[in-house]
Amino acid sequence: MELIDLFSLQQTYNQQRIMLCFNGPLTKSLIEEIGNALRNYMERENATASSAMDVFGAYIELTQNIRHYAARKGWDESEAAATVVIARDAEGHYVVSAGNILDAADGPELEARVRKLASLDKAQLKAEYKEQLRKPREEGAVTGAGLGLIDLARKAAEPLSCALRTLDDGRAFFSMRVVM
Amino acid sequence: MDNLIIESTQSTPSIMTDYREGTVEMRGDSYPENSFELFSPAMRWIEEYLAQAGRPLTLNLHLLYLNTSSVKAMMDIFDILEEAHQAGGRVTVNWYYDEQNERVAELAEEFKEDCSFPFHITSQVE
Repeated sequence: MELIDLFSLQQTYNQQRIMLCFNGPLTKSLIEEIGNALRNYMERENATASSAMDVFGAYIELTQNIRHYAARKGWDESEAAATVVIARDAEGHYVVSAGNILDAADGPELEARVRKLASLDKAQLKAEYKEQLRKPREEGAVTGAGLGLIDLARKAAEPLSCALRTLDDGRAFFSMRVVM
Repeated sequence: MDNLIIESTQSTPSIMTDYREGTVEMRGDSYPENSFELFSPAMRWIEEYLAQAGRPLTLNLHLLYLNTSSVKAMMDIFDILEEAHQAGGRVTVNWYYDEQNERVAELAEEFKEDCSFPFHITSQVE
């Protein structure tokens, strides 16, 4: 096996101020473990309780959305894979990014949804959130309440941004960034 | 009526009910993947209590981070309380939060907007 160039990885992580990253199948317990590491890290950085909760919340909503999507698709646990990166930007904001594989057919709708949320102001987002909160739960649904993206948009310091890359096997890679 | 004693885990709060005192207490973080499953027993207990006890009910909440599916489940619980209140029942929510963490207070305030029963949000030094 080719030797992994850890030095160049380290340089990249440092340049991009990456605090924590993960790539691979995302299980329920792994979400909790990484979440713990994130909380400990934020505590060491002396982040305020509110800001630590915002970053933790963004991480939880993004990763649970990815697991819910895979579950809805009937994909097995190894297919619920994600690439998650938590970093700080030059202004000191925390940036939570997550990417995952989608059926290519689902990409445009999700992308349009994120772009729509990114265009709304805080009052419009609150109205959207309350409307979604009042929608009846789907019978037998074990997945999310459809609130996660709206919640992220409400709490973010900048509009949500996303990118969709079509792959050649009928799938696509969707990535999203939330600045807290 | 049996009381509920649900211990907390890393991602779920403790849920304790006391039929004699007429109280429900929830404490901790709540971010399970399936919140409906977690909160269903509490919803059933509250509905039965309100139907049988003929006494006031008080919810004492020391909840911290809630994921959006837990928010949805809590709203279902507050809807049950609102219905009881509209029918003349005496229900109260006391939500306690650490004064260092205003996010929890904002979350509680937003729930309170949709409730007409007594809903107290109190800061504590923890």
